[in-house]
Amino acid sequence: MSAPATAPTADTFDTRVAAALADRNLKLAVERTAGTAEAKRTLAVDAFPDFEAARDRAAAIKDHVVANLGHYLERFEANATAAGAKVHWARTAQEACDIVIGLCKAANAKSVARSKSMLGEEIGLPHALAEAGIVRIETDLAEHIIQLSGERPSHIIWPAMHKTREQVSALFKTSHRNPHVEESIAAMAESARRHLREGMLAADVGISGANFLVADTGAVCTVTNEGNAELSLVPPRMHIVTAGIEKIVPSTGHAVHMLRMLSRSATGAPLSQYTTFYTGPKRPGDRDGPEEMHIVLVDNGRTAMREDGLVEMLRCIRCGACMNHCVVFRQIGGHAYGGTYPGPMGAVLTPAFDGLKQSRDLPNACTLNGKCQEVCPVRIPLPTLLRGWREKSWREGLEPASLRSGLGAWAWFARRPRLYRAATAAALRSMRLMGRSGWLSKLPLAGGWTRYRDMPKPPAESFMAQYKKGRRA
Amino acid sequence: MNARDAILARLTGTATRAAIDGEAATLLIAPERPPVDPAALEDSFLARLAVPSVAATVDAVAGFADLPAAVARYCADQGLARSLCTPPDPRLEAGDWSGFDRHATAAPDEPVALAIARCGVAETGSLVFETAPEAPMLPNFLALHHIVVVPQVVAYLEDAVLAGTHPRAHYWVTGVSGTTDIEGTYVRGAHGPRFLHVIRLG
Amino acid sequence: MVTATPSDRPRVALFVTCLVDLIRPRIGFASIAALEAAGCEVIVPEAQTCCGQPALNSGDRKTAEDLARRAIAVLEPYDHVVIPSGSCAATVRVHYPEILEHDAVWGPRATALAAKTYEVMAYLDEVRGWTPEGVALPVTATYHDSCSGLRELGIKRQPRRLLAAVDGLTLRPLDGAETCCGFGGTFCVKYPAISNAIVGEKAAAIDATGADLLLAGDLGCLMNMAGKLHRDGSPVRAFHAIELIAGMGDGPAIGEDA
Repeated sequence: MSAPATAPTADTFDTRVAAALADRNLKLAVERTAGTAEAKRTLAVDAFPDFEAARDRAAAIKDHVVANLGHYLERFEANATAAGAKVHWARTAQEACDIVIGLCKAANAKSVARSKSMLGEEIGLPHALAEAGIVRIETDLAEHIIQLSGERPSHIIWPAMHKTREQVSALFKTSHRNPHVEESIAAMAESARRHLREGMLAADVGISGANFLVADTGAVCTVTNEGNAELSLVPPRMHIVTAGIEKIVPSTGHAVHMLRMLSRSATGAPLSQYTTFYTGPKRPGDRDGPEEMHIVLVDNGRTAMREDGLVEMLRCIRCGACMNHCVVFRQIGGHAYGGTYPGPMGAVLTPAFDGLKQSRDLPNACTLNGKCQEVCPVRIPLPTLLRGWREKSWREGLEPASLRSGLGAWAWFARRPRLYRAATAAALRSMRLMGRSGWLSKLPLAGGWTRYRDMPKPPAESFMAQYKKGRRA
Repeated sequence: MNARDAILARLTGTATRAAIDGEAATLLIAPERPPVDPAALEDSFLARLAVPSVAATVDAVAGFADLPAAVARYCADQGLARSLCTPPDPRLEAGDWSGFDRHATAAPDEPVALAIARCGVAETGSLVFETAPEAPMLPNFLALHHIVVVPQVVAYLEDAVLAGTHPRAHYWVTGVSGTTDIEGTYVRGAHGPRFLHVIRLG
Repeated sequence: MVTATPSDRPRVALFVTCLVDLIRPRIGFASIAALEAAGCEVIVPEAQTCCGQPALNSGDRKTAEDLARRAIAVLEPYDHVVIPSGSCAATVRVHYPEILEHDAVWGPRATALAAKTYEVMAYLDEVRGWTPEGVALPVTATYHDSCSGLRELGIKRQPRRLLAAVDGLTLRPLDGAETCCGFGGTFCVKYPAISNAIVGEKAAAIDATGADLLLAGDLGCLMNMAGKLHRDGSPVRAFHAIELIAGMGDGPAIGEDA
């Protein structure tokens, strides 16, 4: 369902994980960003009155929208159109890119300024722009960094979290016209500010995503902390928005509630620095603003999710809390997931976009511990959705034969208590031969365990056998 | 079938508009939010402006006639020339701006821009703006120093939301531009202003 | 939750779980001892095998439902069902009704069983209102909150309240007590390198407490953490919390009975 990535991921989940686990820098980077976000979110939640009720409300708002999505999309379209915007619809990633490229070409655009959009990444917009020969200026600092390094985002809020300052410094010194001299992060940010300014302000077209689409007013809401969205979207003569159809909220008032939840869940801040609602193109008499505003409403599998048991996933407001709190993400980082979105939400979405066969590792590489669901501001039952993918994988026969036969044998015995006792008694006897002391450090068929851990040696007789013989204490 | 029809065909619903609106309205009753003491709006607003993530400096004047002096004070404190981008807002003409180089268009490296917010929000320390012929948007994001005149303070973000027709852009500025994109380290002035100075009016 | 009055003598079925049955029967006997001290008549139904959690979490829905029906039939004749594992108790209490919702016959039976099934420490503390008496163990311990018990069954204060009654036992807080240990059932053998990275951090946090003992309510988690601690040469010894609560904390820890 997704368009080709800018960098092909031909390797496997296992090789990416191995590379990630071996990368000390990555571990430091993840703790600095996701670890800090975890701590800050906790403070923000503790300071907020009745956060649990706020989560209920946020989930209810999104469920209400999704249940009435057709109605709200039409209402949004009508109001956006009345404000002078042009609304387009795209079933697939390819259709969405075609619309955007078509608009750029009609506007004779040589360059576009982009503010950060995961949806743009999802539909493969960077690749489409490159193919069309249109210069792409990424204005978000992290997106600028990964554009220079030719990588995909590794986190939905901090796309360049995996890069060290040394790596960023080297990239800027190679690519910036007037790079930093002092090796400080402030100096590097200043270099990016200088380097991007001219191109950003001279771009023919500005392309953004949307954090929210307000049905009542036809407004598109963007949230940033840099102010790059406004600088990308106000100067050019055309503003193009690409947004998933699930981004709708009924009114600005509903957006306010969601905004309170979004920044607290993402970074622990009560609000991001810049929250802007754009309603149509510039008005007569306005000194700045685009002449044309185009909004591309993108389906790309969302209507299918509604039908395929993934409807709760459409509540997602892309805050990143789930991945910040995920023990697996905290060890392997974002690139190991191999898709547009990492972490728990990525593990649910990637099979929907890329197909289960290709991405079945993602729902499986999860302990189902439930922390993600606990911190999700809209109460998405992520473990349940991941288990749903495992069930589909099982039904479609995608699980490895060794697991199927192992579980099959276990289940066969578990249905037959007497045989179960006999078989497990035999297994205990043979396991006890594997070691003298109370611990086993090597175990056939359990190399995955004993490579890193010892296994307690089992008893001579099972509980049930001892109980049957009359032992009670 | 075009894309619009194809998408909407999968999203048919039976609820009436009245029922949908009713449910939507119910979902906004008594929203959970940080408490703001209505008797202490000014203090709450000032306290939010002072938090490190907002980091605004503050001044107060009685009326628009006193603005030039307040701006002169800020420029002197910051070692800035008295050159600034100001919006074509007639309210500014109540002040005597001689000694200032005022211009309506902001340069990409504009040092100072003055703007008049519609209000400030005590809940978050946000400054609320709308675009209009006398209120351009770009200078507020281009300038290094952003001086914002705040004529009134409301309690909550909901109070800042407009009813009726919306302008091209309605935006909230909550502190100075910043980023933690490199190694999670916070730096100010990523693209937008690095310095925010609030002049409370009245 | 139904609270029985202490004068009742409920017929309580102990569902011992595969891991306890095969790896550490002491946990089963500790459960019986505590339940009897709390005034219960304990029965261990002979036909019990596995609650089906491995099948459920692997996506083998059909087998999970199958094993669920069997377990329901074995366990439903009793007043209460008690399980010394948060994850197995959650499988019965939370997931059986979910996976059998479509079944007109077994759905209601699953719901009925769920309503009277409890994790052992939650049962002793909240249903029986019981605390151990005359149990002493002058050591320091730290407690890991296993994820299923914590998030699916709300098990947090009950073990700590019960352990507080063990004379001389000092509980030291574990940094990241609620952070997953990386066991995750088949996860730890399917993705062993990731599991190892997770449990490595957990083991470091446990060592950092300086406590003598590691305690938890799930044997899978305990095997994972204790196995890592032992491999890395840590002196920390691990028990299921119910063993201390039942006065068996002076016995061999996990991995100590040869």
